[in-house]
Amino acid sequence: MLRKLACAALLTAAASPMAAQSTPKAPSIRIDFTQEKLPNGLTVIYSLDRSTPVVAVEVMYNVGSKNEQVGRTGFAHLFEHVMFKGSRNVADGQHWSLLEKAGGRAGSDINGTTWTDRTNYFEQVPSNYLELALWLESDRMGTLTETLTKEKLDNQREVVKNERRQSIDNQPYGSWLEKMFWYSFPENHPYRHAVIGSMDDLDAASVDDVISFFKTYYAPNNAVLVIAGDFDPAEAKSLVRKHFGDIPRGPAVPALRNVPVPKVIGKAEREVIQDPNAPAPVVYVGYRVPTARGVDGAAVSLLGTALAGDRATPFYKDLVREKQTAVSVSAFNFGLIDGADLLIFQIRGKASSNPDSLEAALLSEIDKASSMITNELLEQAKASSRFAFINGLQTTGGFGGRADALAENYTYYGDANEVNSILSNINAVTVAKLKSLIAERLVPTNRVSLVYVPAKKAATTGDK
Amino acid sequence: MLTAKKFIVAAGVLLAASVAQAQTPPKETPPAPGPLRKFDVPPVQTATLANGIKIALIERHSLPIVTARIQVDAGAVREPASKSGVAVLTGNLLSEGTRSLTGAEIAEKMSALGAQFGTSAQFGSANASVTSLPNVFGEAFRLAASTVTEPRFDPADFARVRTNAIANFDQSMASASGVANRIFVSAVYDSLTPYSRLSGGTKASLEKLTRDDVVAWHSSMYSPKNTTVMFVGDITLAAAKSLVESSLGKWNTPAPTLAPLANKVRSVPATRVILVDRPGSVQSSLIVGQGTVGWGTPDYFPMVAIAQVLGGGFGSRINMNLREKHGWSYGAFSSFNPLVGAGTFYISSEIRTGATDSAIAESVKEYKRIVDEAVADTEVKDQLNNVVASFPSSVQTVQGLMSRLANVVTYGLPSDFYTTYRERLAAITPADIGRVGKSLLTPGAITVVAVGDLKAIEAPIKALNIGPVEVWTMDGQKVR
Repeated sequence: MLRKLACAALLTAAASPMAAQSTPKAPSIRIDFTQEKLPNGLTVIYSLDRSTPVVAVEVMYNVGSKNEQVGRTGFAHLFEHVMFKGSRNVADGQHWSLLEKAGGRAGSDINGTTWTDRTNYFEQVPSNYLELALWLESDRMGTLTETLTKEKLDNQREVVKNERRQSIDNQPYGSWLEKMFWYSFPENHPYRHAVIGSMDDLDAASVDDVISFFKTYYAPNNAVLVIAGDFDPAEAKSLVRKHFGDIPRGPAVPALRNVPVPKVIGKAEREVIQDPNAPAPVVYVGYRVPTARGVDGAAVSLLGTALAGDRATPFYKDLVREKQTAVSVSAFNFGLIDGADLLIFQIRGKASSNPDSLEAALLSEIDKASSMITNELLEQAKASSRFAFINGLQTTGGFGGRADALAENYTYYGDANEVNSILSNINAVTVAKLKSLIAERLVPTNRVSLVYVPAKKAATTGDK
Repeated sequence: MLTAKKFIVAAGVLLAASVAQAQTPPKETPPAPGPLRKFDVPPVQTATLANGIKIALIERHSLPIVTARIQVDAGAVREPASKSGVAVLTGNLLSEGTRSLTGAEIAEKMSALGAQFGTSAQFGSANASVTSLPNVFGEAFRLAASTVTEPRFDPADFARVRTNAIANFDQSMASASGVANRIFVSAVYDSLTPYSRLSGGTKASLEKLTRDDVVAWHSSMYSPKNTTVMFVGDITLAAAKSLVESSLGKWNTPAPTLAPLANKVRSVPATRVILVDRPGSVQSSLIVGQGTVGWGTPDYFPMVAIAQVLGGGFGSRINMNLREKHGWSYGAFSSFNPLVGAGTFYISSEIRTGATDSAIAESVKEYKRIVDEAVADTEVKDQLNNVVASFPSSVQTVQGLMSRLANVVTYGLPSDFYTTYRERLAAITPADIGRVGKSLLTPGAITVVAVGDLKAIEAPIKALNIGPVEVWTMDGQKVR
């Protein structure tokens, strides 16, 4: 949870000297930035921090798995892979090799990621390579499909299928995320299918699909470019014009399928999954909750943190320390923005645990949640959340760094400055607000239970 | 707690590049870099208290955040085989209660301060780590220090934490890569070397441990004489010293008797293949490598360079081959993992079941090629510059800088190790790589571990004829 908090940016840190005693004179922190819009519709955000000679460039496109058509699940993500296979001036493989030799670490500094609500591409490099990063992003934004071939698509299709095997099919409990979204959202809702998609749909994707998707969604007017870290502001503005100014504006982006999402699911959904990879039972319980923005979003995040966010919470104390029903218990939300978000509780049992009892123990805690919420507990959750926010501000680019926080808030809410409301949103959440959230949403008719049971498998060869 | 960032789907595991075969001639060339701004690694400041506790500190005041690590030379590398798991279990139990507070009370106090806190142990050390904003750091640190010096080791907490450790062991053995790692270390390290085991022990070894073992381990191994307290962030040496003095200055237990560590790798005369059955597995977890030198080797930098060229990044040889050329994997990489006196060097990947044999053949081929054939000067320069130029990014957080400082302390590196690191790595040449590859790596005598669906992979792997094929259980017992 705290997913918004995990992505933070820096700004003006008023450091307080270390006090001998605990005087919660918390430092005040915000991310300063400036913003402009080019004539072609590209929004550009600049956030200066010269403490380390590194610069982060991120392009976030306002497209995710929720924009996919029926029969083409997984396409937004497959497309993201194709974005690394070269464009007019960049040969296949050259994107990585140029950035890696400049000093970007593949994976953490250089990557692309796809989520339900957005797709991003980022690179953090030594600050003297700012222009290289901008040139690479502009070339693929402007000319990707000129050098696209079926061979490149087929190659990345195989890589993505391996990614699915590695993260889902070959992992214990790997299917939970797919199932949770499927049960939690109504028929035909854009969140109903998983980001990774199905093997069949991945096989069906064609070169024409790639070209059409690019023309529809990958245009400057559907993107935000963020430059964060160590750069010269005047030089950066001029480089942005040089590399992005000539890319033509694209057509208006089609609207999402509008499928209303009632506050509650309407019934208790439950599935028992026989999992041959599972060493012990695990239960996931999810609820529809308000979307991630503002004080409502902060309340969802704080509720999960307060109940089961760490080892200081009542769920952990009851289930892990005292009753010892579980090995671990946790809670988190995704930060979804259309219709509803999901608050998830996960409980992990021992090999000997009875799966039904494990589920019952978790549900019994959730039934008591309202009586557990005290002012003291809420303050504890707020302290953890404030720390997580400032801790996240340490990185410029990469996953959850400052550039990403600005890009995401702009893409989701049309206002990058939302990032600077995170601390005040946290402060505004009250005990009464958490209790009404529990009363409205943590109810049996709004619940999805996924009960994973270790399936008997054939004896391992020669096992003694 | 988990964040949703965990669930996004990324292009690179940690890797990936490809072959330059543009279909249209480039019209533009990549922009050249401007002048590089200098980045200096801040110096390590040190102090020692009268009771023997050492302090190592790196100041950084750009954000209001401080992290500390109280580290005791009582890691799993010090434990006898008969007590496998006791060091990690003891480390995990530190936070579960002191003389005056229960584990739940400690967790609540830390949480109320907004401090991130945990205790644990690995092979190299046991430690308590705490990170917070500066205004509450003093209180959080004092509480963390008390968990190291006066843990209560309540019998009920012992039983619970041991049970959970067994569950975590079961969980790691449920993943193919967890099994592959366990089998690989037991195959390449000498059986008397602790590194041949899992640092946290196994179900069987944990079941034998008692609370008395933990109490005895703590009282014999935890002493100010083998403890270093490290700080990174918004704090000065004077403030840190007074904090350690007031919280740990009166701690006075005798120094443990520490025998010199004599870790050894196994002698492997010829390549061998070890298979472990994971019925129905849609991918195989693959490790191809060997035991080798550890920290203290004069060849540290050339070994880092070899691992970087072979499999350090997306554009490295092995990822370009297994992922980008063949599409068998989501990513493949290689590592040089030095420990005290010994280490490992290997290629690892998760391969779709049907390509397991082909991926083994390609991994062995790349392993041989980097030893037998000279590496081009440009390839070495490009690959090394990745590590050199990304160094400032890798130490941007206080936690990132702390992990480097912990290496200095744990492995007894010179205090300027990371100050000169970039220059020393950048100086490595193709000739250094050729010399060290030929002297330390043995492509004709390596260990190949594949954990996957045996009925699908065994026959094709045998047909490769790269060495005898054995089948082991996931517990490391040879079946045939």
